[in-house]
Amino acid sequence: MEYTISLVGNPNVGKTSLYNRITHSLEHVGNWHGVTVSEISKKILYDHHTVNMVDLPGLYSLSVYSYEESISRDRILERNSDLIINICEVNNLARNLYLTLQLLELDVPTVLVVNMMDELQKQGKVLNYRRIEKVLKIPIVPMSAKYHSDVHLLMNVSLDHIAAHAGNTVQLSYLDKLPLDDVIAVIGAQAATAGFSPRWAAIKVLENDAFVLQKLQLNDAQQQTIAAMGDWQARVAQARYEFIDKITEGAISRSVADEHHEMHEHAEHNVPIETENTDAPQNVAPTAQLKKHVKHHDRHKKSEEMQAMGLSGIDRIVLNKYLALPIFLLIMAVVFVVTFGLVGRFFTWLLELGIDKLLYDPLTRWLIKVDCPDWIVGLLGDGIIHGVGGILVFLPQIVLLFFFLALLEDSGYISRVAFMTDGIFRKIGLSGRSAFTMLMGFGCSATAVLTARGLEDPKMRKKTVLLTPFMSCSARLPVYSTIAGAFFAAGSPFIIFGMYVLGAAVALLLAALFEKAIKPLKSGKLSFIMEMPPYRFPTAERVLQLIWHNTKVFLVRVGTTVFALNVIVWVLSNFSFTAGYTADKNAKSILELFSGWIAPVFRPFGFGNWKAVTSLLSGLVAKEVVISSIESLGGVGAIFTGAHPSLSALTFMVFTLLYVPCVATLVAIRKEAGVKWMLLSFALQMGIAYIVSLVFYGIGRLVLLHTGITVGVLAVAVVAAICVAVLVSHIRGKRSCPYCTGGCGSCRKKK
Amino acid sequence: MTLLDAQVHTKYKVCGVSGEGNARRRLLDMGFTPECTLYVAGVAPMGGTVLVGLRGFMVALREDAASLIDIEAVR
Repeated sequence: MEYTISLVGNPNVGKTSLYNRITHSLEHVGNWHGVTVSEISKKILYDHHTVNMVDLPGLYSLSVYSYEESISRDRILERNSDLIINICEVNNLARNLYLTLQLLELDVPTVLVVNMMDELQKQGKVLNYRRIEKVLKIPIVPMSAKYHSDVHLLMNVSLDHIAAHAGNTVQLSYLDKLPLDDVIAVIGAQAATAGFSPRWAAIKVLENDAFVLQKLQLNDAQQQTIAAMGDWQARVAQARYEFIDKITEGAISRSVADEHHEMHEHAEHNVPIETENTDAPQNVAPTAQLKKHVKHHDRHKKSEEMQAMGLSGIDRIVLNKYLALPIFLLIMAVVFVVTFGLVGRFFTWLLELGIDKLLYDPLTRWLIKVDCPDWIVGLLGDGIIHGVGGILVFLPQIVLLFFFLALLEDSGYISRVAFMTDGIFRKIGLSGRSAFTMLMGFGCSATAVLTARGLEDPKMRKKTVLLTPFMSCSARLPVYSTIAGAFFAAGSPFIIFGMYVLGAAVALLLAALFEKAIKPLKSGKLSFIMEMPPYRFPTAERVLQLIWHNTKVFLVRVGTTVFALNVIVWVLSNFSFTAGYTADKNAKSILELFSGWIAPVFRPFGFGNWKAVTSLLSGLVAKEVVISSIESLGGVGAIFTGAHPSLSALTFMVFTLLYVPCVATLVAIRKEAGVKWMLLSFALQMGIAYIVSLVFYGIGRLVLLHTGITVGVLAVAVVAAICVAVLVSHIRGKRSCPYCTGGCGSCRKKK
Repeated sequence: MTLLDAQVHTKYKVCGVSGEGNARRRLLDMGFTPECTLYVAGVAPMGGTVLVGLRGFMVALREDAASLIDIEAVR
């Protein structure tokens, strides 16, 4: 038999983790909401059945809020799955069961998985899931998809349920409180034509669900009748939650093992009652002990209370009003110093040495000894080993970068970053969720652009998609490292850090400009509702998997795209149409001619030569190729030869940072926003790269000419700009009070 | 009063969610239903966004969403 099973659940409950377990896949997972943004599926063989497993983006409710959620809703409403595995998280079971109830209202065959049981166990608690099973009348399978988990049990239960299922038999008693029959009387006919069950459509009409109302196409009279029934929206939600509270009451309790443990632990300061009545002198010690005991218990109780609210003690420090940003900057500084300074540089240097001494030297010596033609020595030595090797040496730094990104993602800190930078993002018409996309952009621009799908507002989505390519992706890293290393040996980590900051600054400034000046992109004040995941320890297995995956991707890219492009670039730049191999000959190679036409465009930056242009052009395919082309065309020294080579080199880095990241990113942008926006983004990136480079080179020249005067003028200008900005915001009175959520007496903000 | 008037590190009880459309829908679905207890855990460094704990999870809300939530003090 062939079955289709869909994984459905709230965001960040571990759907993709479970999918990876069942299908042995390596889909992207992370400890934040909205990692999966599209449908993923894979066919597996299980117990003589072909099972098509489908992983869907997370959703809170069948009344959706963002685009990715509507993918899941459509899939569920189409009813083309034989079974829905609804995954719940044990830490906030109530909100997870809310979706379960909606699935049961819809009457789709459902198996419930309660995930993250390991976390409950760590708190010394157990879940009495049998009780819930009895009420909901669907099978429940508790598990921990992150660690070992009995996937076979789940699959057996699921397949049995498909075979035995004949409609859900649960009595959803809370529905009796709603005037469903009255609504069905009004909308019944349309619900049937729209393909909904009348009862379900009636619930959704009471909920004022935009999607269902649009499908039903009620006429004016019907709408009036419905409106006359009053506002039931809150009642429906409340009724569901009341029902859930009833069935989950007492379902989570302390485990016997935990009680035993506490009994032993507390035995030493357990105080017998009669000591209270004995003489005063003996009383001193027990009172102190009693106090200690009570204090201990209070602490227990308090932390338990915090936990019930979903709060974590770490957040008191990490999200403290004054400490939050300094802590964030400190973490970023550590990441940069380790990746680009100490550790990363050492391994890169080691690899470089290895490739040079063990590969390049012996090979070229041997090739020359056996009288190989010059061009073969050149192609193998300079074209391939130097070019491709020039990228390969950055593997350690890229591994480190992804290692830190994985830590940020899996610990849950990335969501905190989105929360605390929300103030900036709000002012420029983006939401904290755009921060996810942009932070992901430090890894890979193309995949980051795809995560923008989780943004609820289409204008904001377009804006985020346009700006993400300015965040410096990992492919640009070799370019900075090589050039900065060659020109500014000791200062290179600072220069690289500066590039990352510049990229982010350009993106934020452009966002502000879009918000103020360009109408189709002006999103105004948007609501922002984002769940904060609990802190979790990244598992070693997951981190190693991620590193291995990214290493593989990198090596495959280097082995295919970079390698092929390098050979092409080397051949085209060392052969001419007429004279063949051009080394030691007075002939222009093919690329020398072609890139020579474009070169004058870059003359204002001091690198208007064909080699620089060639590397930038080939970089359009993949940014790493910029540096491998430079390496195979004679190294950094051969390219920056103008009057101010180090300034030209810096400008070259700025241009590389800002111009189109790669073809893959353009394709991703087209997928998310359409061809028009892709072309616009291409023009924007080229234009911004050119203008910023021009300004950068101009200021650099001035600094070199009249250091004192220029630096002074710039400093004064910056201070003046800040003063004006502060003054303007003061006069407008838009500054929010730092001590309250925004409505206290002392703050001038209008409510 | 609404969530905008709330003090940080304090518990409140939800009275209801006003407004209409998607934001209200989402807040109700997430569990901001009457009688539910919530805890104001913090405010973003630049203000305007508030962090709330309820029903075992934390959620960040911008002021416009926060202004929809009517609350009253507990004890």
